[in-house]
Amino acid sequence: MSISPATNFQAYAGPVNFQVKKSFPFVAFLAAAVFAAAASPANAQGVASSGSKPAPRVKASGLPWDAQFTDIAAEAGLDLRFTYGGETAKSYIIESNGSGAAFLDYDNDGRLDIFLVNGSTLEGFADGNAPTNRLYRNRGGSQFEDATQSAGLARSGWGSAVCAGDYDNDGALDLFVAYWGPDALYRNAGGGRFEEVAAATGVAGGGKQWSSGCTFVDYDRDGLLDLLVTQYQQFDPATAPPPGKASNCEWKGMPVYCGPRGLPFGNVTLYRNEGDGAFRDVSAAAGVRGVENYYAFTAAAADFDGDGWQDIYIACDSTPSIFFLNNGDGTFADFATETGLAFNEHGFEQGGMGIGVGDFDGDGLLDLIKTNFAGDYPNVYHHQEGGFFEDVVVRAGLAVNPQYVGWGVEYADLDNDGLQDVFQVNGHVYPELDRQTKVNETYKQSNLVYRNLGGGRFEDVTALSGPGLKIEKSSRGAAFGDFDDDGDVDVVAMNMADTASLLRNDLDNGNHWVRIELRGTQSNRAAIGAAVTIEAGGVRQTEAVLSQSSYVSHNDLRVHFGLGAAERVEGIAVRWPSGEVEEFPGAAGGRTLLLVEGSGEVAASP
Amino acid sequence: MSARGGRCGAAGALLALLLPALPAQDVDALLADQGDPAALTDAGRELAGRGRAADAAKLWRKAAALAPDYFPALFNLGFMHYSAGRPKEAADWLAKAAEAGPRDFNAHYLLGSAHRQNGAREAALRAWRAALAIRPGHFKLMQVMAVEYGKGRYHKEAAELLRRALDLQPENENLYYLALSAYQQAGDYAGGLKLAARAAAKYPQSARANFEYAWHLQKDGRFDEGLPLLRKAMALDAGYEEPFFFYGDWLVKQARHEEALEFLEKAVAVRGDYIAARMSLARALMGLRRWERAVEVLNAAARIEPRHPQPRLLLSQVYFRLGERKKASAEKELSLRLRRRNPTFLEAAQTRPFPD
Repeated sequence: MSISPATNFQAYAGPVNFQVKKSFPFVAFLAAAVFAAAASPANAQGVASSGSKPAPRVKASGLPWDAQFTDIAAEAGLDLRFTYGGETAKSYIIESNGSGAAFLDYDNDGRLDIFLVNGSTLEGFADGNAPTNRLYRNRGGSQFEDATQSAGLARSGWGSAVCAGDYDNDGALDLFVAYWGPDALYRNAGGGRFEEVAAATGVAGGGKQWSSGCTFVDYDRDGLLDLLVTQYQQFDPATAPPPGKASNCEWKGMPVYCGPRGLPFGNVTLYRNEGDGAFRDVSAAAGVRGVENYYAFTAAAADFDGDGWQDIYIACDSTPSIFFLNNGDGTFADFATETGLAFNEHGFEQGGMGIGVGDFDGDGLLDLIKTNFAGDYPNVYHHQEGGFFEDVVVRAGLAVNPQYVGWGVEYADLDNDGLQDVFQVNGHVYPELDRQTKVNETYKQSNLVYRNLGGGRFEDVTALSGPGLKIEKSSRGAAFGDFDDDGDVDVVAMNMADTASLLRNDLDNGNHWVRIELRGTQSNRAAIGAAVTIEAGGVRQTEAVLSQSSYVSHNDLRVHFGLGAAERVEGIAVRWPSGEVEEFPGAAGGRTLLLVEGSGEVAASP
Repeated sequence: MSARGGRCGAAGALLALLLPALPAQDVDALLADQGDPAALTDAGRELAGRGRAADAAKLWRKAAALAPDYFPALFNLGFMHYSAGRPKEAADWLAKAAEAGPRDFNAHYLLGSAHRQNGAREAALRAWRAALAIRPGHFKLMQVMAVEYGKGRYHKEAAELLRRALDLQPENENLYYLALSAYQQAGDYAGGLKLAARAAAKYPQSARANFEYAWHLQKDGRFDEGLPLLRKAMALDAGYEEPFFFYGDWLVKQARHEEALEFLEKAVAVRGDYIAARMSLARALMGLRRWERAVEVLNAAARIEPRHPQPRLLLSQVYFRLGERKKASAEKELSLRLRRRNPTFLEAAQTRPFPD
């Protein structure tokens, strides 16, 4: 061993004058620190997050806000307590993402029923004790009864997404439920009964495939609903690293379950409805399989660019989002980056979860909103002409609550004033947050309501939206519809390790409304993928009929419009999934209108 | 501490006199016969001073074996290993030294330095925290720690430390800006606002101080109050790009694209490699449908920083809007490839609390 004189070795003997040897100019130091931070690998966290802080809030408008939500789940009979992995700690990502909910009228009695997708635990359950999905039949009077067993929907397992559509055009809504493992397709056999036909029809998937989203879509305009299924990842707990034991297993210094980053990517599958009761996997031929390296969640299908063909937007977690534009020849191409829908305004990937579709500025073009992980704003994608979208979240006023992990979301006119508001449900993914004090985040979070002020601006009116918005839960999926048929939009939400929330909107401001039910003839019978534009009181509004949106959930297929002071709709135009645009005459509001494709007439829905 | 001197009495003094000629075999004898840790330590010091570090180490190890909490021997071993570029061994001995001498600044400081060289940032910071507790006014140590906190994404701790450093050197203007940066990274805009107000009051003719205060006012929802400060910053120093970029970018976010051009052009003129300003300028041009000029700006950005994915991403959007889908796709693919190769360009560092 030799000690170089240059090391200035000075053995300890007596009170030494040892000092910090080097002098560090401050500026050079900071530059070094900033550079080091920028050059370090991606943060040792499993999910994309920009670490954004709340943007300044605009001064409150002071206008009255009349939409008041109350959680009536218990009194309405929604007694399912969701099971979704560990309740106080989670070992794997499969336990964290939760599941969807659906508002649908499965028995065609005119009342909205509720379907809730349930999960499981890694330990599993003894025979006969496993929790199942639930179907709640609406008996009227805000009362629901459990119809799961009688309907044949009592399946257990790790369910995630639900989407509805009438794939056999028999007038009864069918259900597709996505799972980690084989998926389920429930054909509505009528009489309140479903039969599971996934394997028989060729849409079961399976293996370690974790299906996370789905949407029925007539992509080839043959009048038959095809089916697109997103897979979040190929998940295997035997190979997934345990919490904190690899990169991508940290959240703000806290060891947590790993992923999604670092775990095997999923893919997208497109099944073509062959019309004979079977589906055929056309993923490769249609070009959707060629899109790789994504953690895909919610899928929303509509004719976004107005060319008469159905497109598909897919929210992806910690990867760019996907926007499949329909080429009109049976194929799709992903144009998310080119159209401004892949990233946030700064080009950052985000932890995308849910999608809302609407027209918040009344220009007749479908806008989007996407929820993201904590530390990011939602994306308020304003649709400009030419199929291009701009994220206007800051300008719109929705960049004020990035502390929430957002999931279910929708543009919906909650106060019937003719402007589509935003409802967003939230909940963190790490229950471990509740056992620490250093990170100012909690597992249970309140939901959010933003009022549309017009002019492309919103304001946070959560605190004004009634007792239902004061409740904190860790929510995931949410569905939107008027279950009590009183002319306003209600919400049902899935909550982790808790019962569902049934948020009844007790709106009483005298504003008028109209609900429109579509029936396809050339198009699929449920008219999934149609866009409806109305004019009332000099205001134009557009809504789409979606098989899936929010977070892996399904809304009422009947579209709801607030009319403000106007008592009637002056005109209606429907862009059918067939690509045809049909105009209908005006009609009085306060009821559900039935528009049958090709009829040109407005009828009252039975 | 009582052992600091390592005094060894008359026997030790005599021994020291003999050391210059002490042959290796006598070191062995000393190791065999000497039972006084202090005498061994002093002998070792003398040997080390003559370049016989290996022999010195033998004596210190013997001393440490005789008295496991004998600070001088432990420290010297640690210091020797550290100086010789063996931080792992140094950390082991210095940890023992710091335990034996909990009030010794040097032991804790050097232990932190050894940990840092070993890549154990958190352990280093813990050791330095102990050192700073002994000498709370040690400005240079604060500098070192602030940098390491920053590298570890412990921005809140970095901000707090820089605030303390500012108390020690309140006339150090740069220190204000470093502290403000730390506050910003920590997400503590309220703390940053107070400090920015202080800086602006202290340095009213500083463009930077006025800009920082304006920036924080905007974050506090008081953009209108900040606007005169922004204008003042621009007037004070036309060569300082930040106020021009900040205001121009704010105008873009408000869709006031035409107004934004002047300020963003100025920011880019002042600092040609300011990619964020070029991106904002391109957005303004895209908002005005001035596609050709947007392409020019984006291509220039891509030339200046060819690794950055963002110019390519925006180029893909411009070409898409021009109906040139093939060119759009090509730019997209390039952008995605660049993103994978250079992920830190488009990732935000996540601040985190220091693990106590």
